[in-house]
Amino acid sequence: MSNKVLDNHCPCCSAPLFYNTTTNHFKCNYCGNEFELKDLQKTEDVTFEKGHNETNVDPVYVAYSCSNCGAEIVADEHTSSTFCLYCGNAAILKDKLSGEFKPNKIIPFRTEKETAITAFKNLSKGRPFVPKDFLSQKNISKITGLYIPFWLYQVKVSGGIEAEGVKVSSWTRGDVHYTKKDYYKLARVGEMDYEKVPVDGSTRFHNDIMNAIEPFDYQYLIDFNYRYLSGFLAEKYDLDSEISFEEAKRRVLTSAKDIMYNDMEHYTTKTITNNTIKAEKTNVEYVLLPVWMINVKYQGQFYLFAMNGQSGKFIGDIPLDQKKVIIYAIVIFIVLFFVIMIGSYMLYQMGVVL
Amino acid sequence: MKKFVKWVLLSFFLVSFPHLVHASVITYERTSDNQYGVNKHWNVGGHNIDNVMDTPYVDATSKIYDFSDILTSDVEKQLYRQIQQFIQTTNMDMVIVTYNLPYESDSENEYFATDFYDYNDFGIDFETYSGVLLFRNTYERDRYYNIYTFGKAQLYFDFDRLDVTLDNMYSYFTTDDYLSGMSIFVDNMLEYYQQGIVSKYKDYYVDEDGYLQKRYVPPFFIAGIFSLVITTIIMFVLIKKNKMVKKASKADDYLLSDSIRYSLKEDQFIRSHTSSYRISSSSGGGSSGGSSGGGHSSGGGRHG
Repeated sequence: MSNKVLDNHCPCCSAPLFYNTTTNHFKCNYCGNEFELKDLQKTEDVTFEKGHNETNVDPVYVAYSCSNCGAEIVADEHTSSTFCLYCGNAAILKDKLSGEFKPNKIIPFRTEKETAITAFKNLSKGRPFVPKDFLSQKNISKITGLYIPFWLYQVKVSGGIEAEGVKVSSWTRGDVHYTKKDYYKLARVGEMDYEKVPVDGSTRFHNDIMNAIEPFDYQYLIDFNYRYLSGFLAEKYDLDSEISFEEAKRRVLTSAKDIMYNDMEHYTTKTITNNTIKAEKTNVEYVLLPVWMINVKYQGQFYLFAMNGQSGKFIGDIPLDQKKVIIYAIVIFIVLFFVIMIGSYMLYQMGVVL
Repeated sequence: MKKFVKWVLLSFFLVSFPHLVHASVITYERTSDNQYGVNKHWNVGGHNIDNVMDTPYVDATSKIYDFSDILTSDVEKQLYRQIQQFIQTTNMDMVIVTYNLPYESDSENEYFATDFYDYNDFGIDFETYSGVLLFRNTYERDRYYNIYTFGKAQLYFDFDRLDVTLDNMYSYFTTDDYLSGMSIFVDNMLEYYQQGIVSKYKDYYVDEDGYLQKRYVPPFFIAGIFSLVITTIIMFVLIKKNKMVKKASKADDYLLSDSIRYSLKEDQFIRSHTSSYRISSSSGGGSSGGSSGGGHSSGGGRHG
C-alpha cells in the first residue's frame, strides 16, 4: 500500500478545489468551474485506468500538532492552520498524520463562515453584559470550520422499572373530611431502540457544548470522502468508542427510564423501587460532524463557542463584564426605588394609604 | 321701698349661700344677619340649617354651658380657671355642656354635642377648630356623659385615653359630684396632652375640615426591599442570557419511533387506606370602633 497526496485539484486547470457549503459543489477559484463529487470520482477513476497504478492507496493528510495542549488537527494539503484552535498557541507543528484517520461518514458543512461570523457578532444583542472587546474583529477572524469526530451509537435498551404508585382522593361528608390512598405495584418491562446517539470523540471539546448544538440532521450523513476536508480542519478522535459509549449509555438510560416512568399514568405520586434497565451497543459509526468553532481567550480563560455547521445553532458561555453588571444593578435598583417611591406617592394622592 | 328690700334680701342670700347659686346660660338668636351664628368655614344651607337652628347659640368665651343647671357658680368659676389653664397650655379649646336631652340612642348625644361645638365659635386656633367637649346629658330616664374631640385634639385624645378618663369620672358623675368629676376630666386631658400625640397617630394630621388624614410617609424600607428583589430577578435573567450551554441529559431525539415494545405493563392494586378528620368550626368575635363621625372623635360614652 502506497501513499498519495490528496488529489483535490481541478480536472480542467489543476488549481486547488474548495468545497462550497452553499452549492454542495467543489469550486475552482482559478477557472471558476464547479464539480460534484461524483464528477471528481469519475475523473479519478479514469486517471487510475490510464495506468497510474495507484489503486488501494490511502490519502496522505497533513497533521498539525500543538506543542502546548497536544491537540492534533487534520487537514488536506491546501488547508493550513496557523494557531491551535483549543489553546491559541501559535507554535504548532505541521507533519504527516500518524496513526489512522478513517471516518465512516461525514455531514458536510451547510453553513458559511459569514453565517458563523454574523451569529458571533449577534451575541451582544439582548445581552448587555458581553465585554466590549470580546466580539472584536481579532476574535472574529479566529472562526474556523472544524469537523469534530463523533461516535454514533445504535443502542438497544432492555429491562424495566418497578415503582409504587399512589392514587389519592378526598371528599367531605357532613363535617368529616376523608382522604383515601390506593397503593399500586407498578412495573414496566420492555425494549426500545436508539439510533445514532452522538458522543464526541474529542477530549478537548466539552460534551455539554457538543450536546447543546445538537441535533444534526442525519439524512445528510454521507460516506466519508477526503475532498470534503478542503478548506476545513478536522480533529482526530482521542477517545475511543468504548470510553465514549459511557456518555451515550448515560443519556439513553435516563431517557428510557423517563419514558417508562411517564407511561405509568394517573398516579398522584410514583416512587421507583427497582431499576433493571440496561443498554447494549449494537453498532457504532465514526463520523465527522461540521462545527464552526471559535475559542476566545478573555482574562486568562478560554471561552469556546460552537455553531452547528449544518443547522446554524450557536452555543457558548459568554463571560460577564463585571463592571457592567455592577453598573446595571445599581441603575436598575435606583430606577426601581424611585418608581416605587413615586408610585406610592401617587397612590397616596389617590387616597390609597399603604 | 319694696324693690330695695328685694335687692337687700337677694344680696344677703348670695353672700350667705354662694355655693347654692346657679347661673343660667345666655343664648342668642340665630338669624341670617348674624350668619346664623356660624362663623366657621363650613356653609349653612338646606342640608344643615335645621341642625344649626336647633343648636343653642352661645357666647363661645364662657366655656361652661350648664343648661341643666347642675353646677353652682363656684364650681363653674373653679372649672373655668382650670379650663383657661388647659387652653393656655394646649392652645386647644375646652367646653363643658350640660343639657337635658331626651334620646333613644347614644348617637343623638353625639349629634347634639358635635353640632354645639361646630355651630358655635369654638376652636382656639380657628383653623382646625381644635378642642375637646365634655357633654353631660341629664335626661332623667338615662343619664349619659361623653367626651368629644375636634381638630388636633383627636391626635392627643384617642378612644383609649378618653375611655380611661370616662372611667375615672364615673364614680363622681353617678354621685353628682360634678366638680371632682369635671376636674378629673380637665386634669386628665392636660396630662394626656403633655404625654404627646398618641403613637398610632404619629403619621396623621388634621385636614381643614377637621378629619384625621394619614400623612405621606415615604416607604423607604419597603421600596428598598422590593427594588432589591426585583433587581436580583432582572440581573439573574440578564446574566443567565450569557449562559447558553445546557447539559443534555436525555436522548429522546434518537429514540426510534415505534421501537418501544413492552413485554410487561403491570398496575397491580395492593392496598387502600382511608383517613378522616372532623372539620372544626370556629366563630370570630366582632370589633367595635369609637369614631363618631366626620371631623371629630369621641370616647365610648358612659350611662349613669
